[in-house]
Amino acid sequence: MLFELKVALRFLKEGRGQTVFILLGIAVGVAVQVFLNTLITGLQEDLVNQTVGNSSHIWIEGKSDFDTETNLLEWDNIIEIIDNREDIAAISPLVEGNGFIVTNAEAVPIQLKGIELDQADAIYNIISRLDVRLTSLSGNQVLIGQGIAEEYGISTEDVIRLSLPNGIVQNYAVAGIFDLGNSVSNNTWVMMDIKQAQKILGLGNKISKIEMQINEIFDAEIIAEELDGRFINVRVDNWIQSNSSLLSALRSQSSSSIMIQVFVLLAITLGIASVLAVSVVQKSKQLGILKAMGTKNKHASRIFLLQGALLGLLGALLGAGFGMLLIYGFLYGTSIGTGVPLFPLSIEYTSILVIGGIAVVSSTIAAAIPARKTARLNAVEVIRNG
Amino acid sequence: MDEQNVLLQAKDLSKVYGTVIRTKVLHELNFSISEGEFTSIIGYSGSGKSTLLNVLGALDQPTSGEIIFNGIEFGQMNEDELAIFRNENLGFIFQFHHLLPEFTALENVLIPTWIKAGKTHNKRVERAKELLDLVGLSKFMNNKATNLSGGQQQRVAIARALINEPAILLGDEPTGNLDSESTEQVYRLFREINKEFGTTLIIVTHNDHIAAKTDRVIELTDGRISRDYSNKDLSDDAAFEQVAPSYCKYCGRAHNNELHLL
Repeated sequence: MLFELKVALRFLKEGRGQTVFILLGIAVGVAVQVFLNTLITGLQEDLVNQTVGNSSHIWIEGKSDFDTETNLLEWDNIIEIIDNREDIAAISPLVEGNGFIVTNAEAVPIQLKGIELDQADAIYNIISRLDVRLTSLSGNQVLIGQGIAEEYGISTEDVIRLSLPNGIVQNYAVAGIFDLGNSVSNNTWVMMDIKQAQKILGLGNKISKIEMQINEIFDAEIIAEELDGRFINVRVDNWIQSNSSLLSALRSQSSSSIMIQVFVLLAITLGIASVLAVSVVQKSKQLGILKAMGTKNKHASRIFLLQGALLGLLGALLGAGFGMLLIYGFLYGTSIGTGVPLFPLSIEYTSILVIGGIAVVSSTIAAAIPARKTARLNAVEVIRNG
Repeated sequence: MDEQNVLLQAKDLSKVYGTVIRTKVLHELNFSISEGEFTSIIGYSGSGKSTLLNVLGALDQPTSGEIIFNGIEFGQMNEDELAIFRNENLGFIFQFHHLLPEFTALENVLIPTWIKAGKTHNKRVERAKELLDLVGLSKFMNNKATNLSGGQQQRVAIARALINEPAILLGDEPTGNLDSESTEQVYRLFREINKEFGTTLIIVTHNDHIAAKTDRVIELTDGRISRDYSNKDLSDDAAFEQVAPSYCKYCGRAHNNELHLL
């Protein structure tokens, strides 16, 4: 074993009380960082997921300089081209329109969504959230939201009457009722086959937009820009643009979390530096004698650098353990009663590794000051003064 | 003195402390120490004994002059070179024992070998045990340094000083902190080491009885060698007479181990 390491370990072992306190200090700091980091990341992922998890990340609409027409004509070509991109996970054409469900008593305003069920499912996750098993929609079938169904007492296999602003009134069979987990879709959406929607809205072969989900949601702006450059007479929008306030909230949350972590780290570093500085004074006799016996200055300093690194390493390991306990505690604590935690947290080992690594590095840096003091320590002074 | 046997030579050795207020502690000392010689350095407090020993022991650097060990001038070596030099050629014994309390007696003896090798391989364990046996502490080798008496600690320090087989053993008041029985024990050990290994010994002491028993006495007064004489071929009483009258002015013949001057 390296001689300096043996001495460093022995100094730590024999100064047990001091060692335990500083280890706990580092461990608590690292635990706070691990927990805070996981909590913030989990919270943000949950928020983003709730916002864009089951909705389109990028959508393409038509745009003309001459009129307000926003429908897309040659959309199959566009889909064919973007379908080749690796970074796009799902593509779904959509026809949109407004209308009413006409009941005996009133006309209920709805949003008409013309979709290809399998393609829309890739974005909205519809099929698994239907009350029946269904894989496609035929011409006279519609899907309605749970909100409408409950409000107006409509159930699967009932027939509803749809009325459109252009005067068309037609009956449809309710093929299923969906619950997409948000009130707007549940209370207003009525889905039908895209061709049927084109027909009754009088769009011919046009659609309203192409919706997409991408693999890396934060690449939305870049991909949208690329798409915008690729096609003419289209308008490309993305979720980041339409959720800018959410994103700036997330960003400030991230920066405040980083601030807290930096100050925790600073506290740890100062703690180690002061403990080791005291330790140099306590061990000056030992260091003097080691030097008298031929220990070089740089090797004497290394004893303290090693102590710093060892404290950092052990503290980081302990802290990572404490941090994970806190995370499990949070998940358990918030799931009492409801059965599900407030929001899901996933332990990210890479970020724990990074936090631990930073703790080790800063502990070693903290030891540099006492180590320099050690190098300057004069053996003669120490020996003379007993 | 036989030139061929000279182990350590001081030429015009001076030491000045301080840069603004300069205190000259050693004044152009010239002397040489022969191989196998057992020398004591005596003198009043502040006469420069310890400074001389530190300079001879490569712990401190002279302000001017040369110290030549086996033909090598080490007075101007840099700190790292001095560290290696100390580790390989010199053994130290100090007044306050200076064992590392975190380590056992055996480990303390092994430390100089660890420093030499840069790591803690224990090839020298057998030798360390032999040395602990020599100083009569085999039974206590696994005791922490703090669980040993003062005399025992000093004997461990002697074993430690010997582990790297140094040419010179330097002692700064090695018996200064010990009772008379331990003092006698330590002296006998020094004599045994001197005879058995041919180790050269230089000790700074306040104890005239110990000084009288060494082969040669160098007496310092205000940083100059005031007397330098041999005790060889003298009876114990005559040797003590030679050391004490000029030195123990205030305590006379009655002074003993317990009574240190000034």
